[in-house]
Amino acid sequence: MHKNQSKTVKYILIGICAVFAFLFLLLPLYIVFAEALRDGIEKYRDAVTDEYTIKAVLLTVEATACAVVINTIFGIFAAWAVGKFNFKGKKVFTTLIDLPVTISPIIAGLIFVLIFGRQSVLYPFLQNMGIKVVFAVPGIILATVFVTFPFISRELIPVLEAQGTDEEEAAALMGAGGFTIFTKVTFPHIKWAFLYGLVLCTARAMGEFGAVSVLSGHLRGKTNTLPLHIEILFNEFQYVPAFAVSSILVIMAVIILIARSVIEYKGKKEC
Amino acid sequence: MYVELKNINKNFGSYKASDNVNFGIEKGKLAALLGPSGSGKTTILRMIAGLESPDSGEIIIDGKTVNNIPASKRGIGFVFQNYALFRYMTVYDNIAFGLNVKKTDKKKTDERVRELIELIGLKGLEKRYPSQLSGGQRQRVAFARAIAPNPQLLLLDEPFAAIDAKVRQELRSWLKEMIEKLGVTSIFVTHDRDEAIEVADDIIITNKGRIEQKGSPYEIYQNPATAFTASFFGQAAFIDDYGSFKTFDKIENADKAILRPEFVRVTKKGEVQKYKNSASEGIVERVSFRGSDMEITVRCGGNVLSARRGLDEENISRGEKVDVFIYRMFVTKGDNVYLLENKAVREDTIVI
Repeated sequence: MHKNQSKTVKYILIGICAVFAFLFLLLPLYIVFAEALRDGIEKYRDAVTDEYTIKAVLLTVEATACAVVINTIFGIFAAWAVGKFNFKGKKVFTTLIDLPVTISPIIAGLIFVLIFGRQSVLYPFLQNMGIKVVFAVPGIILATVFVTFPFISRELIPVLEAQGTDEEEAAALMGAGGFTIFTKVTFPHIKWAFLYGLVLCTARAMGEFGAVSVLSGHLRGKTNTLPLHIEILFNEFQYVPAFAVSSILVIMAVIILIARSVIEYKGKKEC
Repeated sequence: MYVELKNINKNFGSYKASDNVNFGIEKGKLAALLGPSGSGKTTILRMIAGLESPDSGEIIIDGKTVNNIPASKRGIGFVFQNYALFRYMTVYDNIAFGLNVKKTDKKKTDERVRELIELIGLKGLEKRYPSQLSGGQRQRVAFARAIAPNPQLLLLDEPFAAIDAKVRQELRSWLKEMIEKLGVTSIFVTHDRDEAIEVADDIIITNKGRIEQKGSPYEIYQNPATAFTASFFGQAAFIDDYGSFKTFDKIENADKAILRPEFVRVTKKGEVQKYKNSASEGIVERVSFRGSDMEITVRCGGNVLSARRGLDEENISRGEKVDVFIYRMFVTKGDNVYLLENKAVREDTIVI
């Protein structure tokens, strides 16, 4: 009786999950590819190899790469500072790191427009230097960096905090320098958490829409990232190209998902 | 003196971790810093290592003031309380780390590491990771790692705290033997009195950031210099009105007396007791078997004392009235401690 009951519960739960997964995950995924290929493979290829699409892909990759590099550097430093040292305002600092996740991306975009836009006190100075931020590539990179800010540091901080400073102290006592300590002692410990943060950061950077949308100005071939390009195509009722370009993002996302699973699996095996 | 601390002070906020600490350790000696938790013993060790810096005072190693020399340049081996082995390195790499950092010749490093692995009895386990070792094995690896670069001074922070009782016993003798063999000056921190007595040549007693006494285990046990040492070093019963015991000198304004079990002789009413006239009557409250002897807890008036009796002596049972004779006691007055001998014993020796 009891066993039958728990079996019923099991199948009901699995059923609900399956229906949800189908409705919200598989069906949209299917529609993306179905719509993209509706007019045949020729049209799909045209849409994907369109000049503006390729430019959008390159810009997305560029922004993502910049965001990942900058956030890696910041993330490691921040996690190291928080995990290994005690200082005043540490709590405030760790809370602030999370701000970009909780704040709406639109606001993030607007903040940068206000800082670097025409009404800003910085604007004349920037113009003299020949630097354009708003409605230009630097703005897009800034926005992407901002929204993906916490991903790597957030992964690293708990690991570094749990490890304590003993091993580093031991290494330092034996005469090891900061760089040796980091590469030989600290990094092996945070390697998997770091790679995981890297993947999350990449995924989020690729798909960023809100903040980038505010800062980009939607200049086709210049400041259009993939998500923005999709929106424009969609608004112009070019459904097949819109879904075709979407499928590129989907494929990139799936590759990252696979990378994530591999990293998780390997990380667990080593621990 | 090989290691010397002069007027060391160290505060953590308003907490005084070291209060005018002075002591020295001779070359080749194995010294123990012994004290209750929070008495500042680990802070002293960390300052010698260079992991903390004193607010004032001088730390001298081998005739050189090392206050401004960073930890990495002091050439000290350090064994951490939880070993702090590099968990992503094998036993071999852990031990080789210090030598590799110093860019020692590869062949020499290999030789030294193999020699040490042999010495700590872990041959065949070179490729294991710390998580695959037992507590005792980890301790040995930590020791080998610390001595691999041939330090002139070895510091050990509670080296046996994280090991279960049986292995701890083995490791104590093993460590003492190792350190004697290598002849390296060593200081270890412990809160365990028996451990300090068994392992150390010299014991430095710490309390509330101060050094209470320094000396050999025997000296400290026999002649505690302060009230704290008398109560901390050895099993102690505290007595408020020591005047109630017969034939002891009086000390004006004394605080209390400290009685160790070996100061107290409990005899049955019918047994021979040489100093019967000076003995007090007591009632046995508890008798516990301790393996090598019996521990008798006895109440004399308002005081509860503990004494030992051999297993070959006649049994004493709970509730029995017994004679309690006290050979000597430590009487404390403020920070000072006085040893009082029972006059009956003293007169006896004079007569003979």
